[in-house]
Amino acid sequence: MDIDEIRQRSWDFGLTVITVLLLGTLGVQSFVGTIHVWLAQRADPLWEQTSSAAYIESMNMIAAPQLILLVVAMGLCVPKRLFSRRLLVVASVAMVVLGVGTGVATGSLSTGVSTYLALAALIQVAVIALTAAGAKGPSYLTEGRLTKIGSGLLHLGFILFGIVVASLQQSPFMHPVFWTSTALMTLGTAMSFYADRLAVRRVVRVTPETDF
Amino acid sequence: METTAATTYESLQSLLETLSRIGAPYQFALIALALVLAAIAVVPAARHLRSPALLAATIVLLAGEVVLVWFHYRLWQLAEIIDPATGVAVGRVAVPLWVESEKLFVWALVVAVLGTVMRRHREELLPGAMLFTALLIAGAALSGKPFTEPLPGFIGQFVGYLQATAQGGQAAQSAFQGMYGSMRFYYNTWYMWVHPPLLFVSYGGFALSFLATLVMLAKRHSSFETTAYRWARWGYLPLTFGMLIGFPWAILAWSGESWWWSGKVNMSIMLWLLYTAYLHARLYLRRRGMWRVVAVLSLLSFATLVLTYATTYLVPGAHSYAAIGAPSAFADAVLRVLAGGV
Repeated sequence: MDIDEIRQRSWDFGLTVITVLLLGTLGVQSFVGTIHVWLAQRADPLWEQTSSAAYIESMNMIAAPQLILLVVAMGLCVPKRLFSRRLLVVASVAMVVLGVGTGVATGSLSTGVSTYLALAALIQVAVIALTAAGAKGPSYLTEGRLTKIGSGLLHLGFILFGIVVASLQQSPFMHPVFWTSTALMTLGTAMSFYADRLAVRRVVRVTPETDF
Repeated sequence: METTAATTYESLQSLLETLSRIGAPYQFALIALALVLAAIAVVPAARHLRSPALLAATIVLLAGEVVLVWFHYRLWQLAEIIDPATGVAVGRVAVPLWVESEKLFVWALVVAVLGTVMRRHREELLPGAMLFTALLIAGAALSGKPFTEPLPGFIGQFVGYLQATAQGGQAAQSAFQGMYGSMRFYYNTWYMWVHPPLLFVSYGGFALSFLATLVMLAKRHSSFETTAYRWARWGYLPLTFGMLIGFPWAILAWSGESWWWSGKVNMSIMLWLLYTAYLHARLYLRRRGMWRVVAVLSLLSFATLVLTYATTYLVPGAHSYAAIGAPSAFADAVLRVLAGGV
């Protein structure tokens, strides 16, 4: 293993740790939210009528940066070597700045988040297209083209679902975009998990079993 | 129409009595079955009886499910909803087979079936699968009581509708509106026929994943982690799809309600996030010490699953059976502590 590969693996591991931590912090936020709702409703039976709107707004404000960071990590993690790491970091920072700028200019958190997510979706589409075409650029933790395409599809589905939640709930586009995201996430997950069974040419990979 | 309501009410009572006549001894048998399953699971000398015992439990549960299918079919025949203003029948209520008092029973059935068909590390996982099935069976028989106290929410609403229909006037119209709304946006939606069973299938897979993680911690061997992962991915796919399809339904059915970030929704999101974190973390399983992180995430995820299920009955809000202000010693104790008391 050369030094570049070691660096790449450390970078990948760091991004995975960040992803796991962000998923964890969002989980903690959800748990704290549940406890808050439970206790608030016990203390004030009319809480839902009087205070739930402010609570939902606070939760959205706390979740939005975590969601963006999660998608940033996703964007940096999946298309490894498709672009140089430096270019990816610069592009991600530029996308975040553009999203924040749009949010500030329009005065709308959801517009800012959606702008960022739409740009992230474009990158994912490029990654999937290049992977499907067999480009040598994209590198993944997982092996096999079907697994790689599956991973790309489910991440794209996740981003599209984020756009639905952020800004399409009242839009006529909600249903088509939502069902597209659902199909992508489900199909992508199935391909990632069961690529070896779906492949026409099956390669049985033996993982050594060890004691921990 | 008043005559129809009275006749329907009598037929309903007769149906409930018939179910109870079959169900009372069956529920008693379920409790005995749970005890026997648990005993065989923990007594080493009865090891050779484990597979047959779980298979027998699966057959008993399937027989109970057949009775419930018959009950629901008869209920559907009776539950015709008529608009009192026009006298026109607007449809029949098709109550899904996995709501209210039937949830634990369905979960027990899923775990029993998965435990019966599982192959990898069967010998090691079987006692846990049997104990978990026994726990769910006991919960279904002692708490859910789907055969002697079936569908309390639906039966209560339907009887109220029938009584109001017999009275006529504004009460009949109001009861009709409520019943029609429940039929259209809850019981008869395709979503209610797809979302819950998907989640119960995923819960079954996660239960076996949890058991495999416990065995992995005891034996410290990577093959059990692989088994835990395989059951987790079995559970993750229907969990993801099942949760996603709830989104457009929630927007429509809970329009005007504060459902986003409500208790059960929060816990469901947390459940999905933790299993996602688990699946990401295990990509680096071979890294030194990562198996501990993976094991902790697996255990935490399953604990969240149990909490998510419990939230339905504890935390009021959309997607919950808990009533605002319902007595809860635990919640009261937490509030007292937060207020500085004892």
